[in-house]
Amino acid sequence: MIGFLLDGLIAAGLVGLAYQAVTSRSLFRGIIHFVVFGLTMALAWARVGAPDLAMAEAAIGAGLTGALMLVAYRRLVEDRRDAPVDPGPAKSRLALPIAIGSGLLVGVIGLSALFSDVEPGQAGQAVLADLQQVDLGNPITGVLLLYRGIDTLLEVAVLLTAFLAARALAGSESGTGSPTTQGPETPMVGALLAVVIPLTVLVSVHLLRAGSYEPGGAFQAGAVLAGAGVLLILSGRIAAAETAGLLVRMGLLAGLVSFILIGLTPLLHGGPLLALPGLWAVYFIETAMMVSIAITLVLLFAGGGGLKRGKHG
Amino acid sequence: MTAEALALIVFLPLLAACAAVAFPGRWLGWIVRIGLLPLPVLMLAPTLAVLDQNVIHLALAGHASPLGIEWRLDPLSLLMLWLNVGITVLISLHAGVSFRPDSDRGQRFWPLWLILFASMNALVLSADLFNLYVTLELVTLAAIGLIAVESKPAALRAGMRYLLLALMASLLYLLGVGLIYGQTGTLDLYLIAEQIEPGWLPVTAMALMIVGLLIKSAVFPLHAWLPAAHGNAPGPVSAILSAMVVKVSIYMIWRLWFWGAAGWDLATAANLMGLLGAAAIVYGSLAALVQDRLKMIVAYSTVAQLGYLMLLFPLASTLAFQAASYHLLSHGLAKAAMFLAAANILSSVGTDRLQRLAGVDQRRPLDVFALALGGVSILGLPPSGGFVAKWLFLEAAWHQQAWGWLVLVAAGGLLAAAYLFRVLGVICLHPRKRLNRRQHREIPNLASVAALILAVSAIAAGFFSAPVLSLISAGLPPGVTP
Repeated sequence: MIGFLLDGLIAAGLVGLAYQAVTSRSLFRGIIHFVVFGLTMALAWARVGAPDLAMAEAAIGAGLTGALMLVAYRRLVEDRRDAPVDPGPAKSRLALPIAIGSGLLVGVIGLSALFSDVEPGQAGQAVLADLQQVDLGNPITGVLLLYRGIDTLLEVAVLLTAFLAARALAGSESGTGSPTTQGPETPMVGALLAVVIPLTVLVSVHLLRAGSYEPGGAFQAGAVLAGAGVLLILSGRIAAAETAGLLVRMGLLAGLVSFILIGLTPLLHGGPLLALPGLWAVYFIETAMMVSIAITLVLLFAGGGGLKRGKHG
Repeated sequence: MTAEALALIVFLPLLAACAAVAFPGRWLGWIVRIGLLPLPVLMLAPTLAVLDQNVIHLALAGHASPLGIEWRLDPLSLLMLWLNVGITVLISLHAGVSFRPDSDRGQRFWPLWLILFASMNALVLSADLFNLYVTLELVTLAAIGLIAVESKPAALRAGMRYLLLALMASLLYLLGVGLIYGQTGTLDLYLIAEQIEPGWLPVTAMALMIVGLLIKSAVFPLHAWLPAAHGNAPGPVSAILSAMVVKVSIYMIWRLWFWGAAGWDLATAANLMGLLGAAAIVYGSLAALVQDRLKMIVAYSTVAQLGYLMLLFPLASTLAFQAASYHLLSHGLAKAAMFLAAANILSSVGTDRLQRLAGVDQRRPLDVFALALGGVSILGLPPSGGFVAKWLFLEAAWHQQAWGWLVLVAAGGLLAAAYLFRVLGVICLHPRKRLNRRQHREIPNLASVAALILAVSAIAAGFFSAPVLSLISAGLPPGVTP
């Protein structure tokens, strides 16, 4: 009963927050509602028993996407003298038809799902059966790296492509201010960073290590690590640079390159493509991916082609 | 041997893209060459294997479906793979001079170009619905980055619009994939085909996926993003967008329709798809007729020509399959040639407004020739590849006594003739007009040569159709009778 009430509350909250995010009069309020929507969505994932997704949703969907949206808001609205104060969402005549269409779609899917018998997932059962032979407790990590490795590899390539596309766009907008706080350096910021940054790194490394036997993994760990990077940018420790130094470039590419190279090695002795040669390869690739994911997200937040020491650095 | 070659066909360009990001300096030119030039040679092994065994399965990581992901190479995907490799390498000749690797623009262009290439190769190989989603996302993102790579306001606006629509399309496709997985517990297209029966949920799922893919392939009336994006992108990017990027999502629709839903009775829906194609042909051609910019005319021509690929659904015979596949090939070559030629003219004259182009044939004869040759294939004059495709379409419609489609194909050729002759008429039929010489910018010959090679290939495709057509008829979907 309590569970049912909780689910109803979450579902109603999601619909309400989504409505607010789309229709609220100011863009800023819309962003905040979107962030809260992400957190509620994380709760929903936790309720349906998908803690990995819940963590990823909270870290990426709410946390970093929210940070990216806020920094975009700042550059679009606050730093522009000529722009209107806060334009809010544009009115569209299509809004009502789209809302009705989506509602009908949800209705059709929901009703037909209610009246169809769900078969146990073949692929999922095959994963659980096969994992018995491997010393890997978390089936999600197994799926991501052992069974459907090419999906994960291409997703890391998607992140790299997102960065490259953003860099191509940023080429036109030279001289945009970094999101660094303009205020004078206060001692409290230093003390806060001294506590928070090591803790964040610790949490992300724990998430990475935990990924092999319980919820966690490279994506969540990378997102948390990126949070530390965002904090360093906001406090002026690091800032966006025009081009990336060698270290940043290596970090950016580490995940993709190591996955491809390790994935190609079995071909040398007649093995199948992307068959990882052992659990060490899983851990190695996960670590490299965590670094790459974190650096890509930080670069996207910084809005430049690279990173350099900030003015308070 | 085949497995190694296929692995390199996907991962060599991807590794080259990484190297291009890591070492953007003077080695970039060589990195690009290593990432692209071995590919035609690598294609030989899979080609021989397909000619020998017809279908090749490759279980990635050694796990067969439903546990893992399988690559599946059959005649149709082999054709797509050759098309992508051939067209990308030829356009890269042009891009090598228009985006020189030692320039700042080149450093932004080449990594995205290599990723786009690799991801389209990965897409046509994949037989897994979710893996197809990931590759399609990669294709779209790389394409959007490439549209915006010159940072021109019009291109940025078009790219943003494309991004928003493409994201909605991806979500629709992904929703469909989720529903299918919920019912069958597998993502492998061929396992799904065995299990799935038409019902409310499967039909909704299939419709969602197909609508998403129709947005991505800009089929009328979901084409609104295409002309602006293809018309404002840099030349090599417009060329690959029209030649390949919109085609891979149509290829996915074919896969879902003819292989995934093989046993379904889809006659009504097929006619609807055919009508969308007909509307695309008529609307695209008429819109091309009233544009005043050369690249926009070529872009609307793409909207029209994509319509022919939809005629496969109502016709659905061996002849129609050969026609549609050959149209895909010859349109790819011809349209790439036309976009490159148009880009050369644009960068030489400084504008591509039609009334300013009178007499440009004296300054840029090779480009105008490439444009005309590409046009010959588009409107289906013999002996071009486009003629073979349209002839096969007519034959397919004739055999099924589908007079409506027959008239449409014939009328589509006439409409294409109208907008192409308008362009050539303005360019060539002004004997006394002389262009202001000072306005001209010299561009390297290689840029024109690349356009010309593609245009000549589109014409030559008319002479070498027999092996390709027999290859296609060896890879027909289940249920299509020869």
